[in-house]
Amino acid sequence: MSAQGIGIRPVVVPAVALVVLLGVWQAAHRIFHFNSIVLPAPTEIVAAFVKNAGSILTETGLTMFESVMGFIIGCGAAYLLAIAFVHSRTVQQAVYPYAVALKSTPLIAIAPLLVLWFGNGIASKIVMSALVAFFPVLVNSVSGLTAVDAEALDLMKSYSATRRQVLLKIRIPNSLSYLFPALKIASSLAVVGAVIGEFTGSTRGIGHLINTSSYYLDTALVFSAIGSISLGGILFFGFVAWFEKRIVFWQKA
Amino acid sequence: MTAHEQIVEAVNLSKTYPDGKVQALKDISFSVAKGEFISIIGPSGCGKSTLIKILGDITEPSMGTVRVNGLNARQARLKGMFSFVFQNPVLLPWRRVIENVSLPLEILHNGTRDPNSLLRVFGLEGFENAYPAQLSGGMKQRVALARALTFNPKILLMDEPFGAVDELNRAALDLDLARIWQEIGVTVFFVTHSISEAVFLADRVFVLSARPARLKTVLNISFPRPRNKELQETEPFQEVVRCLRKELE
Ligand SMILES: Nc1ncnc2c1ncn2[C@@H]1O[C@H](COP(=O)(O)OP(=O)(O)OP(=O)(O)O)[C@@H](O)[C@H]1O
Ligand SMILES: [Mg+2]
Repeated sequence: MSAQGIGIRPVVVPAVALVVLLGVWQAAHRIFHFNSIVLPAPTEIVAAFVKNAGSILTETGLTMFESVMGFIIGCGAAYLLAIAFVHSRTVQQAVYPYAVALKSTPLIAIAPLLVLWFGNGIASKIVMSALVAFFPVLVNSVSGLTAVDAEALDLMKSYSATRRQVLLKIRIPNSLSYLFPALKIASSLAVVGAVIGEFTGSTRGIGHLINTSSYYLDTALVFSAIGSISLGGILFFGFVAWFEKRIVFWQKA
Repeated sequence: MTAHEQIVEAVNLSKTYPDGKVQALKDISFSVAKGEFISIIGPSGCGKSTLIKILGDITEPSMGTVRVNGLNARQARLKGMFSFVFQNPVLLPWRRVIENVSLPLEILHNGTRDPNSLLRVFGLEGFENAYPAQLSGGMKQRVALARALTFNPKILLMDEPFGAVDELNRAALDLDLARIWQEIGVTVFFVTHSISEAVFLADRVFVLSARPARLKTVLNISFPRPRNKELQETEPFQEVVRCLRKELE
């Protein structure tokens, strides 16, 4: 096997698997006469996508916009709060236990409240996204800012470094390798948050499109909308992962 | 030059850690002349690191005082008089070699040495732009040494600095350290587990007792300088090492 063969295997193998899966699906659909309202054939899904490409892409774009805005706001706020924790033990002791608890609660359960408070426009979706992105990033950032080598702190003390210098030169760079795994999780959660917000109450977005087309039993359109937002989520995740490789370059995979 | 000008004066240093109620140091007093090289040996866990950290004002003593050039330890630290080298090189992995060596200069604004020429002194030319992950253990420790000297400290506090380095590299690092110490006249406290390394480098060896550490013995080492590694094979050297080993038992 050539070195080049090894290099492209990770791409080729899953691609072949996907083609095989779609082929089996298509064949089974034809042989067993599936009801297309329950499970459309791959060709029907593609046809639905082509026919509705304009609205699918527009609504996907809107949902991705909500997700990215929520992600930026939620992750930014979480990181700033983590820095506040490092500077004030009292603030940390007061708030952190709740943050850890909320990290593993299904926050999306409060989506109806958010729609009630922020309306059925994009604001409630952005808030939902920000909220689900917030907690994992907060918890990991606090770990990364505090899990600093004790000897590095001794060294900084021997230079009589200020807290601000310790923060900028040691704590923040150290936190990045903890932050990025949380950002990757948050990027996926942010999309989930936005879609759930749209399911709960909206007139736009991919969640709304999925809702209405399932109401009209247009299952092929539902599938193509799901495929479209999934692709958006994967690209978002991939973008964050790409950034991680460039920024946290010293971390060996 | 006033050969007997005292730079460090420790009086009745005691340390009890509050949490474990462990007494680490008991009544340690000594004074050290400017430019002296002091090796510190003692049973493992006796309080050597604690002593080094108290001297450099990283940890406070429970009792007793440290005075440096007439200042208390805190004032001396604020003036950038102390510099540490630990067993781990403690390099920042996101900084290049040259940026690691310059770190103290971003914080302290003392009289400085040129980081590039320090890297040359330690045989690291060509590695200025490498990242720590690209260096061997011995090279990392050389970077840590260069970093410790950039801001022209008066007192170098070394806690088993070559303890994790292989034997060949360790011998080379000992020679480099001895050479540079003579060149720049810094005062050194050097903790080590190796008796022969302690003797090879020191003007005086401080032997600490088991915990709580007291200053049990102070031994003058008068082999002429510059010393080379053949010295370690000679009978007088071995005699001193045997004598210290007995002290430690
Ligand atoms: N921060 C701390 N809090 C409580 N106890 C401590 C602390 N640091 C050290 N000790 C205790 O004080 C004693 C002396 O520790 P120290 O590290 O100074 O010894 P050492 O001689 O450097 O040991 P080693 O030979 O392992 O390097 C030990 O019993 C240790 O457990
Ligand atoms: Mg120690």
